[in-house]
Amino acid sequence: MKKLLQSDWVSRLLDGLLPVFATLAALLVGAVMLLFLKVNPIEAYLSLWDGAFGSANSLAETLVKATPLLLVALGICISFRGNVINIGGEGQMIVGAILATWVGLKFTNLPGWVIIPAAMLTGFLGGAIWGGIPGFLKAYFSVNEILSTVMMNAIAVQLMNFLLRGPMIDPAQAELASKIPQTARLIEAFRLARFVPTRLHLGVLIAVILAILVYILLWRTTIGYRIRAVGHNPHAAKYAGINVKRYIVLSLLLSGAFAGLAGAIQVYGVNYRMITDGSASGFTGSAGFNGIVAALFGQLHPILSIPASILFGALLVGANKMQRVVQVPSALVIALNGLVVVFVVSSEIWRRRRQRQRLAAVREEETASKPGQVQVAEKEAKG
Amino acid sequence: MTQETLLIGLAGVLASAAPVVFAVIGETLSERAGVLNLSMNGTILLAAMGGFAVAYTTDNILLGFLAGMLIGALVALVVAFASITLKQSQVAVGFVLALTCRDLSYFLGSPYMGVPGPRLQVVPIPLLSDIPVLGTLFFRQDFITYLSFLFIFLAWAWIFRTRSGLMLQGIGEKPAAAYIRGANVTLMRYVYTVIGGALIGLTGPAYSLAIRAGWMGTISGLDGIGWIALAITIFGGWNPLRGAFGAYLFAFLQWLGLVLQPVLTQVPSQVLQVAPFPLMILTLLLVNIGNAEWVERTLAAMPESTRKFFAKLLRAMRASPPAALGVPFISRSRKRVLGGLYRRICARGRKLRAVFVKY
Repeated sequence: MKKLLQSDWVSRLLDGLLPVFATLAALLVGAVMLLFLKVNPIEAYLSLWDGAFGSANSLAETLVKATPLLLVALGICISFRGNVINIGGEGQMIVGAILATWVGLKFTNLPGWVIIPAAMLTGFLGGAIWGGIPGFLKAYFSVNEILSTVMMNAIAVQLMNFLLRGPMIDPAQAELASKIPQTARLIEAFRLARFVPTRLHLGVLIAVILAILVYILLWRTTIGYRIRAVGHNPHAAKYAGINVKRYIVLSLLLSGAFAGLAGAIQVYGVNYRMITDGSASGFTGSAGFNGIVAALFGQLHPILSIPASILFGALLVGANKMQRVVQVPSALVIALNGLVVVFVVSSEIWRRRRQRQRLAAVREEETASKPGQVQVAEKEAKG
Repeated sequence: MTQETLLIGLAGVLASAAPVVFAVIGETLSERAGVLNLSMNGTILLAAMGGFAVAYTTDNILLGFLAGMLIGALVALVVAFASITLKQSQVAVGFVLALTCRDLSYFLGSPYMGVPGPRLQVVPIPLLSDIPVLGTLFFRQDFITYLSFLFIFLAWAWIFRTRSGLMLQGIGEKPAAAYIRGANVTLMRYVYTVIGGALIGLTGPAYSLAIRAGWMGTISGLDGIGWIALAITIFGGWNPLRGAFGAYLFAFLQWLGLVLQPVLTQVPSQVLQVAPFPLMILTLLLVNIGNAEWVERTLAAMPESTRKFFAKLLRAMRASPPAALGVPFISRSRKRVLGGLYRRICARGRKLRAVFVKY
């Protein structure tokens, strides 16, 4: 039995399943919390499952919620791999959405097949600018990117509030006394195709394709290699001839760009307009933050981020149903999200310990058979 | 504006900066020990909610403040456990906690939304409060503001003027060296992170029981304070005096925004609301500019007199973080040395190994 557990593929499988176990453990803790609220946890979780995957419609809703999460997560994969912490997903989404909406409202006489790609591109660019500024400040002025991205979030929110109350306000609302801060609706031709009768839109497909592209970028191109090299060891990367500063800017820029695209798709696929309640989460639904969580859950791997964001999308959508059926606040589910991540992050330590044990076992064998080659085995273990 | 209203406004600035001062000092202590407590934004909200809830149910303000400190200490304990014992990424753990605590406070605080609760009263200090200008500024505040004045100097003296403070700097700068000098790095890091967390926790009730009394859920306007406090900690160069200056500067800019709003009517209100943030980025830039390579190169090319002036200016503004900030310390150096020895002996031959194991 011990031998089986130590064999290569079994331990690999166990490592792969760790996030699943961690999720189950988090759900167990959530069940205890539910019991404290005097709610039957089984009933609650069944309603959560039903709300997230129960029908074609709820499945579609889950995927719609997962799309911005995945797009933000892709950007996070790039920046965290480059050892740059991007917490500005919210602001980048907002700026991307503002620019994309502006394109859609300005050029109403152009056909949809021109405007939609153009709007996606401007969204991408808007996010890139908003991410690139902290990147530039980090690379050339060593300004901590965690702080500057957080500040850029606050600036983006006020920018949105200003634009939606002033220059970009819906002309119909401008005449009314209520003056709801929102833009006009996009015309029919500019909306992303939907899989009727659900709200599932083309953006889901775009996100999945981009996930594959990001995987290729990170592991099959020179740019991706350099981003990862800078993330691993900037000094080594510098002596290998990589322009470290440029790649720091690039990883934050790309990271922001994906968040910007998420904002653009949110407008063109779901809302068809921008509306603000004064806070960032009013527009983004906290996708800019939850995307980070999804990326961490997906072990910063673009392909693994797909199931991770679907899981968090499901938790968010299912929460509404659970709230209605068993009368618990949906904030509990948001707390559950955090629990899942805490458990996954701590399961990582277990994985690393097992890895060390395996290496130690290999080293022991090497030492026993070929005493002269200990140094080599040691080097392998370190590498 | 008369002189009296101006003075009262400035006294208000000192009071409204008090919570941020606590957060900055707490974070400074924690980061000086080498632990980045990124959960601050959530902790403050949770402590504000918890402190208010306790003070409301027990009708005892002191218990409310203690509850806030306890919450902050507990969250910091989680951060410490994850980053010191489990050696996890402090950024990941802290960030997740920041979100979780925020959501938890909205979730648990819903019964206390908008209920009128107890509030800390202003206690003018006799005699001192009658001094013409200084009296209004410094001595007609509430208890928590006095405490913030006191803590600034206490923290500064502790870090820079005591032996334990020197050790604190050591475990943040070079834990291995501090370890050799006999410091229990792991324990010290735990202690300072938890104390720092308690101070951060004090920020919450300082809002919900004094400055912005009551708990208003998502519209409390407290979300984001933690991030600003984090920026001010860096601006302060991990020095409580400079950090406190940053907090007062920030509060002053916010107050200025409010005062100027009726004067500058053609400027959109959002501009004044948002102004502290670009200013904060700018100050971070100024603090860090001395560390940039190209700046040094540009300086070297300048004529002697200007170069000296700018170099002095940059040195005054410059601040670098504790060298071991966010780096887990593996206190097994002795074991490792022995292990290396052991392995080297192994390589010489099986016979020697048997001898080594025997003895």
